[in-house]
Amino acid sequence: MKRNLFFKILFSYLVIVCLSFFILDLLIKDEIKKVMTDKIEAELLSYAELIDLSSAQKMSDQLKQIALISSARVTLVDAQGRVFADSEKDIAQLENHFSRPELQEARLKGKGKSIRFSQSIGVDMLYVAIPMKSESPITGYIRLARPLHDVQNVIEKIYQSIFLAMMIVAVIALFIALIFSYRLAAPIRALERFTERLRQGHPVGAIFLETSDETKMLADNINYLVDELQSQIRLANEEKSKLMTAFTSMTEGVLILNAEDKIEFVNQALSNMLADQYEDINGKTLMEAFLNADLQKSFLKFKATHSTILEEVTLGSVDPVIVSVSISSVHNYPGEEKVMVVFHDVTMVKKLEKIRVDFVANVTHEIRTPLTAIIGYLETINAGAINNIDDVKRFIDISLKQARRLNRLVEDLLVISKVELGEIKLHFEAVSIRDVFLGALPLFEAQAGLKKLNIQNNFQQNLPHILADRDRLTQILVNVLDNAIKFTPEDGSIFIDVGQKDNHVVLTITDTGIGIPKEEVQRLGERFYRVDRSRSRDLGGTGLGLSIVKHLMIAHDGRMEIESQLGRGTKVSLFFSMVKI
Amino acid sequence: MEERKHTSSHYEMELQEIKNGLIYIGVLTEKAIQTAMQSLTERNSDIAHKVIKDDDEIDKMDTELEERCIRILALRQPTAIDLRFITTAIKITGHLERIGDMAVNIAEKAIQLNEEPKLKPYIDLPRMADLVGEMIKNSLDSFIRNDLEMAEEVRRTEQITDDLNEQIFRELLTFMMEDSRTIHRSLMVMQVSKNLERIADHAKGIADMVTYMVTGECVRHQTYALGEKEPA
Repeated sequence: MKRNLFFKILFSYLVIVCLSFFILDLLIKDEIKKVMTDKIEAELLSYAELIDLSSAQKMSDQLKQIALISSARVTLVDAQGRVFADSEKDIAQLENHFSRPELQEARLKGKGKSIRFSQSIGVDMLYVAIPMKSESPITGYIRLARPLHDVQNVIEKIYQSIFLAMMIVAVIALFIALIFSYRLAAPIRALERFTERLRQGHPVGAIFLETSDETKMLADNINYLVDELQSQIRLANEEKSKLMTAFTSMTEGVLILNAEDKIEFVNQALSNMLADQYEDINGKTLMEAFLNADLQKSFLKFKATHSTILEEVTLGSVDPVIVSVSISSVHNYPGEEKVMVVFHDVTMVKKLEKIRVDFVANVTHEIRTPLTAIIGYLETINAGAINNIDDVKRFIDISLKQARRLNRLVEDLLVISKVELGEIKLHFEAVSIRDVFLGALPLFEAQAGLKKLNIQNNFQQNLPHILADRDRLTQILVNVLDNAIKFTPEDGSIFIDVGQKDNHVVLTITDTGIGIPKEEVQRLGERFYRVDRSRSRDLGGTGLGLSIVKHLMIAHDGRMEIESQLGRGTKVSLFFSMVKI
Repeated sequence: MEERKHTSSHYEMELQEIKNGLIYIGVLTEKAIQTAMQSLTERNSDIAHKVIKDDDEIDKMDTELEERCIRILALRQPTAIDLRFITTAIKITGHLERIGDMAVNIAEKAIQLNEEPKLKPYIDLPRMADLVGEMIKNSLDSFIRNDLEMAEEVRRTEQITDDLNEQIFRELLTFMMEDSRTIHRSLMVMQVSKNLERIADHAKGIADMVTYMVTGECVRHQTYALGEKEPA
């Protein structure tokens, strides 16, 4: 940078120096030559005047003398141009001189001169001639000739001085260029370093220069730009982090495909959603990443129409995740269109939808079954059976039983909805779970005895009290125990364990019953959900028992956990909060 | 191969489209096998009919993909690995199409079996179907990733399916000998098993083609027993 600038300045200086030399040469060279020649001419003329022209003999004598003092060649020519005397050459060899320009000029004007290059000595010769007689007719001419050595010498000398001066100026120019370039380059270098740091992304403040010229203005502008740039970057970063936070914290999975349809961004939610089934999907196409025909079909549809696509797709075969997929384009630079795919996990929604549909179907079914029986028997009585008192009694018994069942069902439903709506008032008090349990147990003695069930209870000593509504707690225990006894075949065992775990009192009821298939366990607690419909209805359940327990447990700030193995038995654990002392 | 970049990005896209198309067919065939087996185990003939209907799409995709491959061969004149890729793709799509047909065979057998009383609970058959499904998935995975090891794994699994087929055959043989009324059904189950075994062969064929595509070496006709050291 500095070198460059230096050379540029130096070069321009040298050009100026050379140019001035050239112009000087043009202007003064001819002038000097003219002045010098004039001077020599005048001198030669004055010598010519010296010659006595009275007689030819005298002239010949003077010739040598004059030639000597004037250091010129002297030639005498007659009116016809014939040379009759010469100081240097033999006159016999000389031709007629009449046509020479200096003689012609002298004949016409009284004196004449001419400068011609002499081949014999290799320099310019100045020839001066005057007529021998000042009045006409002219009898002859005197011509003096002198080589112009001196003129050449003088000019050369002058040139030498000029050249020397030029060299000095050039050296001075070199120094000036050095100083100038340094002084010019310093602020520019400072600016360059500043912008370089900025380019590399180092934090920079502002640059201040001690100059007051254009560089200062440039520095001011750069400072302004840096300020602007940094606030823009800050703004962009802020926007970016806002977006990234939104992307990472949203529950919907998001992925972005680049212009080559390869995945270039996956947000946290999507990675979590797919963690079990898919490996790293970055850099793959949708097809490669998901191996899902429906998704690919939607994507191809989007590619064809370029309008936002909304589809429902099931991902994965084991433990499938149902997602609603939205595919839309991210408008970016033309020709580099990116595509955003948003995955909204609707597995839960679908499940809830199914539960709701099932619930309506179940409720109507549960209500219709006893109603059908009641209506059937009443119609039979109405149709004539009324006369047979035994039948009537039997029919009424059955109808009553069905009506009671209907009543129980409605009551259970009421309890559930009340608990769910929070309308039921729970009277919390410190209760010993042991007392409540032992109070409820006798209710089942008859039933258990009938099936020869072995009921064992194991209560940990000094159990803390729990905070509960005594009546509702009884209901919880009754429902759970009822299930255990109902679904345990004859000669089975039921173990009741009450202990303490973390901050909870845990009551565990383990039976050796028929168990529940693994995939059904999580659906227990849904209203009317039965594992084996026909069987459990035979046993007199409404399908609401566990659902009530679940909701009551929630109302008690506790929870219910169920583990089961088909054919082996079921373990129901109830977690109650302890009373804080 | 991952780093492969062509000067023509359009060419690049065309190759990627073929890759995607193959995976698409693969996913469809895998689903077809799964559904056919589901119709068998759950005794649901409706979904079996769906498998038979959906095979048309697989066939359509197959011809379409093949045409696209041939167009690339004609227009782009691929060389080296691209040439192997295209030829491999043509062969793989053929395999997949055959697998689709076999899924249809299984579905047809399932419809017939569902009309008769249950022969016995299926235990080995679903296991075999799972294995076969896994093989197709792995062979396609190895194709996507140029994963030789996974292709090798597919070749190994093929042996297991052969053994399972053998086992099912023997079991059904005893069934038939005990009670001649079960012969018809047993034979049909046997055909299902045979079809699964054939599918496994095709999956192995895909894995072989993947090995050829990556290394340029033909391993198609090399056989070696399970556990034996693989040929160098």
